[in-house]
Amino acid sequence: MSLNTRQNLKYAGLKFIELIATLFVVSFLTFAAFSIIPGDTAQIMLGPNASPEQVARLRTELGLDQPLPVRYITWVAGAFTGNLGDSSSFKVPVISLIAQRLPVTLGMSILALIMVIAVSYPLSVFSARRPGRIGDTICSILGHVLFAIPPFVLSLLLIVLASGVLHIFTMGKYAPPEKGFGNYIASLALPAFAIALPKIAMTFKFMRSAIIEQNASEYVKTERSHGLSEARIFLRHVLPNSNVSSITIITLVLSDILGGSLIVEQVFNLPGLGRLLLTAIDRRDFPLMSGMIFYLALITVILYFVSDILASIADPRIRLK
Amino acid sequence: MSKAFKKAVSAILGLTLCAGMCACNQTQPGTSASGEPDASGAVEASGADADTDAVYGGEAVVGITQEPSSFDPHTAVAAGDKELIFNIYEGLYKFDSTGTLNPCLATDCEISEDSSVYTFTIREGVTFHNGDTLDADDVVYSLKRAAGLLDSQDGTALVTELDCIKDVEKSDDGKVVVTLESGNSELLSYFTTGIIPDGYDNCEAAPVGTGPFMFDSYTIGENVTLVKNPNYWQDGLPYLDTVTFKICADMDSGLLELQNGNIDIFPYLDSIRAEQLDTTQFTIESNGSNMVQIFALNNAVAPLDDARVREAINLAINREDIIEVTMGGAGVELTTAMSPAMGSYYDTSLDGTYSQNIDEAKALLAEAGYPDGFELTVTVPSNYLVHVNTAVELASELSAVGIDLEIEQVDWATWLESVYTNREYESTVICLTSDYAPYDVLQRYASDSSDNFINYSNSEVDELLAEIPTLADTEAKTELYHQILNILVEDNASCYIQDPTTLTAVSVRLTGYSVYPMYVQDMSQVKVVE
Repeated sequence: MSLNTRQNLKYAGLKFIELIATLFVVSFLTFAAFSIIPGDTAQIMLGPNASPEQVARLRTELGLDQPLPVRYITWVAGAFTGNLGDSSSFKVPVISLIAQRLPVTLGMSILALIMVIAVSYPLSVFSARRPGRIGDTICSILGHVLFAIPPFVLSLLLIVLASGVLHIFTMGKYAPPEKGFGNYIASLALPAFAIALPKIAMTFKFMRSAIIEQNASEYVKTERSHGLSEARIFLRHVLPNSNVSSITIITLVLSDILGGSLIVEQVFNLPGLGRLLLTAIDRRDFPLMSGMIFYLALITVILYFVSDILASIADPRIRLK
Repeated sequence: MSKAFKKAVSAILGLTLCAGMCACNQTQPGTSASGEPDASGAVEASGADADTDAVYGGEAVVGITQEPSSFDPHTAVAAGDKELIFNIYEGLYKFDSTGTLNPCLATDCEISEDSSVYTFTIREGVTFHNGDTLDADDVVYSLKRAAGLLDSQDGTALVTELDCIKDVEKSDDGKVVVTLESGNSELLSYFTTGIIPDGYDNCEAAPVGTGPFMFDSYTIGENVTLVKNPNYWQDGLPYLDTVTFKICADMDSGLLELQNGNIDIFPYLDSIRAEQLDTTQFTIESNGSNMVQIFALNNAVAPLDDARVREAINLAINREDIIEVTMGGAGVELTTAMSPAMGSYYDTSLDGTYSQNIDEAKALLAEAGYPDGFELTVTVPSNYLVHVNTAVELASELSAVGIDLEIEQVDWATWLESVYTNREYESTVICLTSDYAPYDVLQRYASDSSDNFINYSNSEVDELLAEIPTLADTEAKTELYHQILNILVEDNASCYIQDPTTLTAVSVRLTGYSVYPMYVQDMSQVKVVE
């Protein structure tokens, strides 16, 4: 085994331990927060008109008569063996509820990511090639403005525009992928756009300055003096070097997109993970809430894990630190 | 660019204002058309037989803002569950949209002199959704199950009010005889509880009843779908083929979906939201809700344990203004614990007991030892805009007598546990809902009632509440109900504010919808306009 592979493995191993530790901390924090807030699943499901006997019976039926720490330990044991347990208020496996909602959130996130990359890359290349020109100035100002608008405000504005004024979008009408892929994409395009816009602005900002920085660096100057063509310098040297930081940015953007989609789907009334998470909290459904937070944390942590590994491949210096 | 933007903004604002004003002008005729409840609680039924050309088929989508919890007729307690399964299950008796209790799966009921034996005659020719024919055995099973009397049960009733049932038997002539532990003349309205097939125990996953609609599917977080019962025992009903109850994230996203045509019927609008709707697309149906909006004062904490302080608060507030601010005027002022929608059980002589009197309120506060007022926290559930707005208005009104009302917003789950169940609060604003039965409205004021979250205690009221179920004579009972209402006013148990009018938006493509003075979405009369 070469030194390089061993180092790589060691690095990946360390990151993996970090991943497990993060998940454990997240689950414990969820449990801690949950034990502080008042509220009882059975009481919430039955409403104020229920008698104490009715509430007590439902509690037993839902398995809520066990104290929370006991339920937490059972849950942790299950979660780390891949079993997230049953939702206490819906009485079905948490994993099936997540699977049912995943196409909405995942579809929206991927769509948003495609939009971010498809728009921000060409735009930042365009802007960075001629910094300070009118095109760059407009892009930069627009970028600053969009960067500052939170996704939920943007969502509301887009709904008013697309569905109220232009009548090109039907609010809350989600078409599952099995009923036609085109409709599925169409039903998610506008919310995806609402999530993507601020992220486009963010990626644009970072990419633009990364390219400008590379353009001004010593080695580019040297290359220019050696008479290399601008296209070759840009494609072979500037862009790949800017990519190192863009991997980190895209990871950041991705986890932001996931978080943003949770809020945006609430505004657009889409049956995704965000809605489910809110329902879980509203109903004080501990297994569902922990399961979802665990799942979202897992996705985020894996994203960072993959991004770290990718970055270390792109730039060997990272590993040595 | 900025000019164009300004233009666009002013155009949007203009449109919104126009829409708002149009809605204002036209809400009123719509309101009277569907009938305001008068003192007797009677509402003109917007009956289906008015139209001679019955249109069959089609579908309707009803927007709901809560996730269903239970489809079992005996364990469903939440208002949102009850209003949905009203279409699936039927009881021996059934309420109509005027609040009248009518025979349904029973054709009549004989109540013994001491009110301890109820004998029901069962309707013939009724079939369940699974094809079984309804008979006395089904009724005996269902009532025993509701009362917790089956061998497989531990004896506690599923429907708490029916806990007083001692035995249910089939008589030789096919009637159903219900024997109570002691006389209770106030029980008939609880025989609205759903009847299910003998031995059936899978209502949660696969509801089977006799109602106008059959359960089709439930997708968590999305919708509940019901389909027409082709063998419904009431000839000619229902009209629609499919009814979908669509779950909306909240009132606002539901309203947007309504405006986009995804939803046809959307209940429990506040007047501000109702006025946003295009009156050429929607009619606003309304009715008294039989709810009691209360500024609940915890009688067990100082200084609210002093009746003079509670009276001062009652005199300091202006109910008319609150109704104007929170419901755009669509509410009935209350001075006591019962809505006038309860008909003769309500004591009309209590109308207008309190008129705002700041000087008298200040004098009472001074007498109680608070000449400069005091600080008070009001804990309100943040998901109910009406209650939050009420708290804001209360705060401004109470500041005139020196009471500094601090508003604390909590989520519904926290409210239920901290305020309602554990009673750890000073004051709160909430709507009290109850079955359409006077006893259910007032039972919460018994010292030992689990619903007595205001910690009210008066032995006289306790005695009256114990006496009422033993009386058979309606007039005598009514007299005692009036007495309780008067005592609650004398004691200033809390501040009663309004019976907020239920506003329901209905798409103009549908007709036949009526608003019930209780939690019911009756889809059996709804049909598509040709």
